[in-house]
Amino acid sequence: MSVLRPLDKLPGLNTATILLVGTEDALLQQLADSMLKEDCASELKVHLAKSLPLPSSVNRPRIDLIVFVVNLHSKYSLQNTEESLRHVDASFFLGKVCFLATGAGRESHCSIHRHTVVKLAHTYQSPLLYCDLEVEGFRATMAQRLVRVLQICAGHVPGVSALNLLSLLKSSEGPSLEDL
Amino acid sequence: MEEQPQMQDADEPADSGGEGLAGGPPQVAGAQAARSEDRMTLLIRLRAQTKQQLLEYKSMVDASEEKTPEQIMQEKQIEAKIEDLENEIEEVKVAFEIKKLALDSVLMDNMKHLLELNKLIMKSQQESWDLEEKLLDIRKKRLQLKQASESKLLEIQTEKNKQKIDLDSMENSERIKIIRQNLQMEIKITTVIQHVFQNLILGSKVNWAEDPALKEIVLQLEKNVDMM
Repeated sequence: MSVLRPLDKLPGLNTATILLVGTEDALLQQLADSMLKEDCASELKVHLAKSLPLPSSVNRPRIDLIVFVVNLHSKYSLQNTEESLRHVDASFFLGKVCFLATGAGRESHCSIHRHTVVKLAHTYQSPLLYCDLEVEGFRATMAQRLVRVLQICAGHVPGVSALNLLSLLKSSEGPSLEDL
Repeated sequence: MEEQPQMQDADEPADSGGEGLAGGPPQVAGAQAARSEDRMTLLIRLRAQTKQQLLEYKSMVDASEEKTPEQIMQEKQIEAKIEDLENEIEEVKVAFEIKKLALDSVLMDNMKHLLELNKLIMKSQQESWDLEEKLLDIRKKRLQLKQASESKLLEIQTEKNKQKIDLDSMENSERIKIIRQNLQMEIKITTVIQHVFQNLILGSKVNWAEDPALKEIVLQLEKNVDMM
């Protein structure tokens, strides 16, 4: 199966699964560790992938949230993300996809303009988060945010759905989103 | 571009069903109670989760039943349509919130009313309890007084009886008899002496009528004897 669909499997009991897609292995691993350290009432499962499509041989649980990590320092990262986006089903973009731009702190190293990523997120109607994953403090905060979003996307928070959250996060100015 | 993505499963059961109770109480009973409470909370949480997930699936099913427009529209048109739909969603949300607020206010009123009534009931019950207490006290006091008066009357009666007995016994006592006998004896002796005096005066053939002292003795002696 080459396309990821959001609701093709039944959810695991008290389990929430997040898929981090990005080219920087070290950053992804660090982010995953920070997320797992978070105090959460549900079981967390973090999957890391360099790109989609994922091999269908592996038996994996239902994925609740996909985070595409784009490194603003490398054009290859953006290209990889755009390629992987093709393998995601359209219904995923109803709140279960998130873009994370890292490396914005060091302006001199950025080869991708911020506007590009903003447009990408706007095209896919998904929220865009900025975080310098190399800095421990920011990473921990971002991990916390992601855990909360993941809980909502997995349906563990009664009264709030992923779509609800998405519409809450949209601001009237357009494709720029501030905080959760 | 790599075809073979690397997959890493990092599982950690961050189960905070026992959050705060990891260093649990040493007593077994306490730990067991805590665990059963955890299970309850866990079950309730799972129930809420399952409900929410069911809702999501249902809404997806409903959404997929709607017919999507077949024609290929321009991107601008799609964006405009998306905006319209989003506005619809916002309006529905706002209306829902307003309704919820209205219901909540009514609910709040009812609950406040209930609370007030409960307070009133409790107060009245307290008052009636106090009054009953007072009644009980007064009854106790009355009983005590009755008992006291009973005992007093008993005492009086026994005293009276004692007095009567004493009196009777006094009358029947031996001493009184002896004293009475002595008295009788004395009276007899006095009578004899009186008679002796009378006879002396009469026998001496003195004109006792002329002398008032002698007259008094003779007449008085007669009287004395009669008075006994």
